[in-house]
Amino acid sequence: MTTILEAHGIEKTFRNGDEVTEVLKGIDLDLSGGDLVALVGASGSGKSTLLSIIGLLLRPTAGTLSIGGERVDLMSDAQRALFRNKKLGFVFQFHHLLPDFTAMENVAFPAAAPAGGITRDMRQRARDLLTKVGLEDRIDFPATRLSGGQKQRVAIARALMNRPALVIADEPTGNLDRESADRVLDLLREVNTQEGATFLICTHDERVAKRCSRQVTLSDGKVIIGGV
Amino acid sequence: MFAFTVARRYLLSSLSQTFLLVCGVALGVTIFVFITALIGGLAVLLTQQVTGNSAHVSIEAAPRIARVLPGSGLREEGVALISTTQRRQIRDWPTVVALLRSQPSIVAVSPQISGNAFLVRSQAVAPVSIVAVDPQALDAISQITPKLISGTGELGADSLLIGERLAQDLGLSSGQVVLLRTDRGVDRQLTIKGIFRTGLKSLDERVAFMSLQTARPLFVLPAGVTNIEIKIKDPQKAREMASFLSGATGLRATPWQDNNLSLEDALTAQARTGSLIQIFSLASIIIGVASALVLSAYRRRSEVGIMRAYGIPKGFIIQVYLLQGLMIGLTGAVLGCLCGYGLCLWLAGITKPDGLPALPIAPDQGGYVAALVLTTLGAVIASILPARAAARVDPLEAIQQ
Repeated sequence: MTTILEAHGIEKTFRNGDEVTEVLKGIDLDLSGGDLVALVGASGSGKSTLLSIIGLLLRPTAGTLSIGGERVDLMSDAQRALFRNKKLGFVFQFHHLLPDFTAMENVAFPAAAPAGGITRDMRQRARDLLTKVGLEDRIDFPATRLSGGQKQRVAIARALMNRPALVIADEPTGNLDRESADRVLDLLREVNTQEGATFLICTHDERVAKRCSRQVTLSDGKVIIGGV
Repeated sequence: MFAFTVARRYLLSSLSQTFLLVCGVALGVTIFVFITALIGGLAVLLTQQVTGNSAHVSIEAAPRIARVLPGSGLREEGVALISTTQRRQIRDWPTVVALLRSQPSIVAVSPQISGNAFLVRSQAVAPVSIVAVDPQALDAISQITPKLISGTGELGADSLLIGERLAQDLGLSSGQVVLLRTDRGVDRQLTIKGIFRTGLKSLDERVAFMSLQTARPLFVLPAGVTNIEIKIKDPQKAREMASFLSGATGLRATPWQDNNLSLEDALTAQARTGSLIQIFSLASIIIGVASALVLSAYRRRSEVGIMRAYGIPKGFIIQVYLLQGLMIGLTGAVLGCLCGYGLCLWLAGITKPDGLPALPIAPDQGGYVAALVLTTLGAVIASILPARAAARVDPLEAIQQ
């Protein structure tokens, strides 16, 4: 299997005046293409910080990070933004859909904004993804008229729009009831298989973690199980 | 353009707020247009009142200047004497008149002989300024014929038109004969053909009109004229016209403003006051648009945050906010121009009991293009701050909120 992500010696320290907080203390993590990985650990273990660093939303204090063979830790802010757009997908605890747009437009947005408009291909891809997540009858619905579970499914479809190498999901079922959460999990497994994208899912939920193909456990800023 | 679609959706999503914002901009533009039209109209009215019975540009022979003449010997020099007995005149005036008539911006040309004289009736003597004109062009500069209160405006040989006050001073009426004594020492009996009332004391008390042919022997000017008076389409351009004519003819051309410097100062001060009001209107528009968009940028932080997380370029987000400013500014400006024009038209239609407009407003001088351009530009400038603020949103911070 191709290695999609290689993180070596990742450290992150936050400073607040004289106060120094060491959140990550040398993380080593490799992910292979098509992996469905659960990142677990107690609150304050550094999961969200690691996810933000891997999602190129935060820079590490030390260490190297490669995604798809590219040294993303050396990139400029503009290069990182472009990389995020082309190679990464995000699913957050809250869907963060654009309320003034339809489900289809929300899905197409990551591709449409840099291109200057929604092309026919983009529209078709967005429709296919919405069909895949079971929302073929909600394609032209405004985001505000969708239920919480439907919105999260639209967010998953949006994450896949640009055919990313890696999808980062931060507590994707955290805001959903059990039934909706199960459906979202089924969906994540399904698209992981069908789209071949690697998923890194940060979760507190053991049920979610158990349904992933691999678990990485963090404790006190270090990987204690399943890093490499 | 996708940024345009996003900007439009953002504005339409909170329709009532956008409506109020556009109304605020439109109100500012309406005030801008109203003030501009009022000041323009006032300037037109004052200029008309001042120049209605006088020329916009007066042309006369260049003043003779004393100069040093070379003497016959190497060391001798002499000073040329200026004749005080020879009248300054424009000898080749038909050529100059032809040149003036060929200018499309000149609407009236009147070659004249002007001079001083006394009107004598028995023991009564009154000083009078003679204006001798082509009888066919009596009304070219001053509208005399419509203001005749007795007699006719026919300027035949030995005819004279005088103002009402002068007639009263000398106890004259139409058809009577009076003695005219010019500053050249020539006396002649003339008939009062008509008496006019312009309402201007300077004209009604001191000026008398006669024909050029009558004036020639009286002022000893067998061929020339003393001055040529002209009216132009736009009195505000009298200075430029005078400068052009002076260069083209070599004669001295005086614009009306040079004889009314205090009015020009007053008009300038009035225009400055208007500019200040216009600046305040624009400033209030800019502040209003900026504050509304800053609020919008704050309200949409999480949306912008997710866009940034997805690597949407900062330029795109800046475009979205600048386009919102552009749409608000342009819509408000168009609406404001229409409202301003309507308001000015309505106000211009209100008349006083004497039939004259109650407000000297000129709807066509509302400065619509300036209002449109400045407001749109101002609204775009106003959106720079919120656009930059939105583009600087930290995606991580916004998503975690």
